[in-house]
Amino acid sequence: MVSPAIVLMVIILLIPVVVALVFSFSSYSLGSNHIEWVGWDNYQRLFSRSTYQKMFSATLAYVAIVVPFSVALGLGAALLIHSLRFAQDFYKTIYFLPVMASLLAMAIVWEFALHPTIGIINDTLAYACDKPWLYNIFTGSWYGTDPVTSWYGNSCERGFPLWLGDKSYALWTVAFISIWQAFGFNMVLYLAGLSSVPRELYHASEMDGVSSAWSQFWLVTWPMLGPTTVFVVTITMIRSFQVFDTVEALTQGGPVKSTYVMMYAIYEKAIQQNLVGMGSAITIVFLIFVMLLTLLQHLLVERKVHYS
Amino acid sequence: MNHYSPIKEIAKHAILLVGALIVILPFYVMLSYSLKSPKEIETNSGGFWGAQAPMVDEYCVKLGKPAGQCTTTPIVFNYQSAFKKAPLLRYLMNGVIVTFSIFIIQVIVSMPAAYALSKLRWWGRETVFNMVLFSLLIPVHAIALPLYVMLSKIGLVNTYAALIVPWTISVFGIFLMRQFFKTVPDDLIDAARMDGMSEYTIVWRVMLPTAIPALIAFAIFSVVAHWNDYFWPKIVITGNQNLFTPPLGLREFRGGADGSDWGPMMATATVIVIPLIVAFLLAQKKFVGGITLTGMK
Repeated sequence: MVSPAIVLMVIILLIPVVVALVFSFSSYSLGSNHIEWVGWDNYQRLFSRSTYQKMFSATLAYVAIVVPFSVALGLGAALLIHSLRFAQDFYKTIYFLPVMASLLAMAIVWEFALHPTIGIINDTLAYACDKPWLYNIFTGSWYGTDPVTSWYGNSCERGFPLWLGDKSYALWTVAFISIWQAFGFNMVLYLAGLSSVPRELYHASEMDGVSSAWSQFWLVTWPMLGPTTVFVVTITMIRSFQVFDTVEALTQGGPVKSTYVMMYAIYEKAIQQNLVGMGSAITIVFLIFVMLLTLLQHLLVERKVHYS
Repeated sequence: MNHYSPIKEIAKHAILLVGALIVILPFYVMLSYSLKSPKEIETNSGGFWGAQAPMVDEYCVKLGKPAGQCTTTPIVFNYQSAFKKAPLLRYLMNGVIVTFSIFIIQVIVSMPAAYALSKLRWWGRETVFNMVLFSLLIPVHAIALPLYVMLSKIGLVNTYAALIVPWTISVFGIFLMRQFFKTVPDDLIDAARMDGMSEYTIVWRVMLPTAIPALIAFAIFSVVAHWNDYFWPKIVITGNQNLFTPPLGLREFRGGADGSDWGPMMATATVIVIPLIVAFLLAQKKFVGGITLTGMK
């Protein structure tokens, strides 16, 4: 009864890991008849060449942006929605919509919205430059800062960023799209976590004189959400390590390799340039990252569960 | 908890509404631009619906047809070109074929395995279960390269099989179903054995019906993931347009867009995104449960 499952599991999941490991010590490319062994060369290149250094730093920077923002926004949205009296479901539905939509399709729409000349975002931003009250809000001149030196005031003078075409904005823009897509997922997990926090704990803390929402959050809600947070953080990390769709469709790793993330590097090296050996080495490093994260997640979740 | 205060409630709604606007923005852009003429898109005018002023289809004129036949409205033009310039219907059909084949095979493979792992005693059960747990650590996307090399060695690249095969085994599905089956009382199974049912019959006649809720959640999880998947099809379908899944088709469309094609492209995106969104709006609770299934691990 289990044999079909075992056979498929071995062929589809376990053997490929071994195949990748073997190829990572070769300079194999599809179509060639013999395999040339190169020892640790691929790995040496991976950890010394500047292209791959850019790859690691782009990937890590991307993860470091997406994880905190999408987790914090997910938690924030969940807390706000959970405490609402009306229209909880309305917001839940809207915030969950991006999770359902094809990321590739939505990335293309975002690209269009972010288009430097005809996009709705720069259009709107430029429109607000001529409206004094909006200009004052956005430049922060209400709080006494000099409007011209602020990011917004400066952009009003010199034009708004190219977003995906500018190397200092591209990674943030791609990350923004992922955050937009992912935080609704995190919100739903946090809402489930929140609904399982026993109400008595809040009553008890009130009896003990803890009455502000702020201290109740840190004393009761946050610790009770511990397991949820561990899960949300690790799953968001694993997912953001695997980012591909947005990068392939919008930036192809550019400009100047600023969005050259690992999955895209594997695709470009191994599939487009047929450097299977190099691609395999990246695959192995990538697998180690992801497997360690998953393992860490299982360990932490298990400990938390036993703890409670 | 804290006492209800209308001012706080309003402030919360204000924050959440701003968030909702940002979340909705690309959906709005997509829908609205799929309705507008190229001119309106370029100048950002016409509101949500566009003026729907009659326009001339340049491509149709080039084909030498009389001008009368080539006059159309932007909405008709956009959606018509979406289906005519690229075989969108074919892409959608491929999407349906691939997603459903994957799900059906996943069920056929994982249900008996889950049953054997939860309800039968046999030598090596623990080892196999540990293998399942280990395989949970390996995301299929991460091993795409060796899978691609293996598939191309046996000549399966650019086939339906390439799109389906790597997903036929869902260790997560096995794990999930095993956890679920463990809650099914043994008496039920013993009674079925008394009636002379074979183990396979028990899986499909006894276990399957009890597992319907879990199965629906898993179906949603699987269908949504594979309908929207772009990475894997991109790797194994390299040239044959007839095998394109919806995301690949949309990407191809964008590749050829010369700037004036935004309307039809947004129409294509709308057609691809709408089915799941509508399904979600109709059965929200089930969808949220299905998508967040991984949260149950």
